[in-house]
Amino acid sequence: MSELRFDHVSVRYGSRSTGLTAVDDVSLTIPSGSVVGLVGESGSGKSTLARAAIGLAPVTGGTITLDGVDVTTLRRRHPIQMVFQDPFSSLDPRMTIGESIAEMIPRGTFSSAAAKRAEVGRLLKLVNLDPDRAGSLPGALSGGQRQRIGLARALAARPEVIIADEITSALDVSVQGSVLNLVRDVCAELELTMLFISHNLSVVRYLSDYIAVMYLGHIVELGPVDEVLNNAKHPYTRELLASVPTRNGNLLAVDPAAPLDVEPADPHHPPSGCRFNPRCPIGPLVHPERQICVQSAPQLPTTPGHATACHFAELTKDRLPQPFEPAW
Amino acid sequence: MPTRLKWLSIVRSPVGATATVLVLLLALLAVFAPLIWGAQAEAIDTSGTQQGPSAEHLLGTDALGRDVLARVLIATQLSVALAVIAVVIGVTVGTLLGTAPSVLPRWAGRLVVGIVNIAVAFPGLLLALFFAVIFGVGTTGAVLAIGFAMAPGFARLTQTMSAAIAGRDFISAARAAGVSRLRVLIRHVLPNIAEPLIVNATVAAGGALLAFAGLSFLGIGVQVPAYDWGKLLGEGLNRIYINPAAAFGPAVAVIVAGLAFNLLGETAASVAGGRVTIGRWTLPPRPQPTTRAVPAFSTVSVGTILSIENLRVSYPTPSGLVHPVRGVSFEVREGEALGVVGESGSGKSLTALAASRLIEPPGVVDADRLEFNGIQMLTAPEKTIRGLLGTSLAMVFQDPMTSFNPTRRIGSQLAEAAQEHQGMSKKEAMKRAVKQLQAVRVPAATRRAEQYPHEFSGGMRQRAMIAMGLMNSPKLIIADEPTTALDVTVQRQVLRLLERVRTDTNAAILLISHDIAVISQSCERVLVMYAGRVVEDLPTAELYTGARHPYTRALLEVVPDLDTDREQPLGVIPGRPPAPGEVPLGCAFAARCPLATAQCREADPELEIHRDKHRVACWNPVESDTRVTLPELTAAAHTEAAPVATVGGAQ
Repeated sequence: MSELRFDHVSVRYGSRSTGLTAVDDVSLTIPSGSVVGLVGESGSGKSTLARAAIGLAPVTGGTITLDGVDVTTLRRRHPIQMVFQDPFSSLDPRMTIGESIAEMIPRGTFSSAAAKRAEVGRLLKLVNLDPDRAGSLPGALSGGQRQRIGLARALAARPEVIIADEITSALDVSVQGSVLNLVRDVCAELELTMLFISHNLSVVRYLSDYIAVMYLGHIVELGPVDEVLNNAKHPYTRELLASVPTRNGNLLAVDPAAPLDVEPADPHHPPSGCRFNPRCPIGPLVHPERQICVQSAPQLPTTPGHATACHFAELTKDRLPQPFEPAW
Repeated sequence: MPTRLKWLSIVRSPVGATATVLVLLLALLAVFAPLIWGAQAEAIDTSGTQQGPSAEHLLGTDALGRDVLARVLIATQLSVALAVIAVVIGVTVGTLLGTAPSVLPRWAGRLVVGIVNIAVAFPGLLLALFFAVIFGVGTTGAVLAIGFAMAPGFARLTQTMSAAIAGRDFISAARAAGVSRLRVLIRHVLPNIAEPLIVNATVAAGGALLAFAGLSFLGIGVQVPAYDWGKLLGEGLNRIYINPAAAFGPAVAVIVAGLAFNLLGETAASVAGGRVTIGRWTLPPRPQPTTRAVPAFSTVSVGTILSIENLRVSYPTPSGLVHPVRGVSFEVREGEALGVVGESGSGKSLTALAASRLIEPPGVVDADRLEFNGIQMLTAPEKTIRGLLGTSLAMVFQDPMTSFNPTRRIGSQLAEAAQEHQGMSKKEAMKRAVKQLQAVRVPAATRRAEQYPHEFSGGMRQRAMIAMGLMNSPKLIIADEPTTALDVTVQRQVLRLLERVRTDTNAAILLISHDIAVISQSCERVLVMYAGRVVEDLPTAELYTGARHPYTRALLEVVPDLDTDREQPLGVIPGRPPAPGEVPLGCAFAARCPLATAQCREADPELEIHRDKHRVACWNPVESDTRVTLPELTAAAHTEAAPVATVGGAQ
């Protein structure tokens, strides 16, 4: 069992007057052995939430628990590990990859240096790399290979939960597939729980069991992946889905009713009420009578299954963008 | 670059070599001079005091008749040793102070930072004098004074560099694994800042040498009977009208030694910073345009805005000339939206830069034809090209932050383009700038024109960049990964904007992207590039059904879509693209291609017309209705094997 639970978690940076609440009262449960995909635009707080789980961001409210144990009290054990976005800055350029991996092996696990070396070799094999490469420096490796080392390093700490933060966004598409396949296989084999963060919905859909959509520090929609993607209820989720370049989609289609080209909100001065209201195609900009969106923030229902934080979630059903034929 | 090779390159530059020789000479002198000239320097000759230069005493003698030259040579030891000890003290104390905040509790760290900030504000020499008074007059006092006076500078340097390293993910990873702060400091931070620290210490040694000379000269440094260059200079200066050489000798010594340390440090710094390149490159003569059959577009047809034939971009490297772009031919027609897709290193951005003559030396651009709007870009004078950029040819880059001047308001930067090229008045130009910002749907355009680039979000900056391009009604907009740094929702807005600009103004658009889905959604035609060549050129409407090159097919396969089968592993293209210097003999994709034959490994296929508006460079093009099966996901497919069968250089 290794259930990771965020309970009313807030992360606030800076002072009272100039600060910024990157994560605001977020509750999210990652059931043991499952993969939760977290999507949202840059500045939505998805990476901050992940960094809070491994102690790299200050939790200013709420608790993060692993099987009921507050993660901030887990000083000796490090059961939550992260794979980072940038394969070029996530490995110390002056350490061989073997040393980088060995550093993460908990102290006292292996008595001899030979056993430690064998463990490094095992981990490298696990991520489909030649164990003989333990002596090479990261500079000699490609981006895809470095991301595998990043995974091997995370696995060296014997984690129960893996947090993958945009692990393929710096990779070429021809390499991306191999890294995603690997992450999926390894997590299934080791029965790991995973929080998978990406801005790419297609990638999140491929890997996740559940999906959580974040907007400006709030989770706006949450549920089993097929439910959320096939029956998105929050207008923001719908906008995201419509923006994914796919072979059958139509990026240039215009929804005549939607407020176009609105600037993303400033996280330092979030709008009152529902934070999506200045961009919302079913909100007060289009329907002036819906003042509730400006006055009160919708809460995410705590019931299990598909949940949406929107006052008018049930009304979104027929609001997909109109088909639009391009000029050619 | 191997570290040893890198440091060797210090010696290769004339300045570096001179400085190295001088420093070595100083070291030798410091060690051996007392053994060789020791007796001579101490020999008191009361009969020949205060003499001028002679064959026996080249720099004359001092008040006790001792040989000045011998004394200058012997003083090397004390002068250099004192400088080195002071630098060691400065660097050690500085590094301790600089790294302390990352180990100490927060409040203590802040205190240290505060103290260092105050100390940095004091001039170094003032600080040295202050310490000299505290530690007492004498050699020890002077060493401590100069050492401590240097410490704040090094503390600041260490702080800044550690802060830069501390933001990197490998530090986060180590911290997440519970590595203690002290261990992170010792294992990760210090090794990564050691290089610049040592370089700076070398420069500082030169400064310390001068500082000691100064202190001794003032009489608060080295005391008799010991002597260093400063002391000798002081003595010599008292008798400068009797024997100028006695002052001249130590002065030259101080200057030469100071210069030697400084120059060595500077050269090392530029090597460490990558400003110096290994060896010397001789630019080969401009490659002769090859007379090979160009399959399409032998003449420029009417309505063509950009015509490129056999474009090559070459860069010299230590191992010879490499060609990241190897013979690219295509045309862009008026009002057309043409996409260029390829992985990183495929040459797509270089092609765009070459088309607008923006390749910087030592890069060499060469083509059979490079014609934009009737102008021969390769032969046109610099001035014509500059006039084109920003008028009929607009460029939009991935990071608009670097394309704007951060210290000037967006509106005036836009207006400048119109003032420069159309001779508009400032007021008119400003009006047009606001109008263009409105045209690209920047909300509250009048107010935002008064703002600085950093006040714009990424998407809005990209809009402003497009607006800047539109100031002078361009005929072609080259957009190089304009949406890569943006969120998908903003990406969609920018793509829509480009489409609207195209339909409204009939400007052609050359859109470069690594995302084939983006191209397929926003362009009429797509060029697929691989290893510096166009491998396929086809209408996007046929992309998913009619692509014939195995690479295009593979690209379409590997990108997960919203309806990808989740039960199957994702497709993978095994191997990786060849580096520009390692392009194999035949088709560059052969090593990764499931359909490759012996022919593919021997000869590179030409880009040939397959049918109307569709060109493909492949010996075994895929039939329209067959599906290319990518290799099963095995361990072999996981490993990104180095390309096989490589030949050195592409010549």
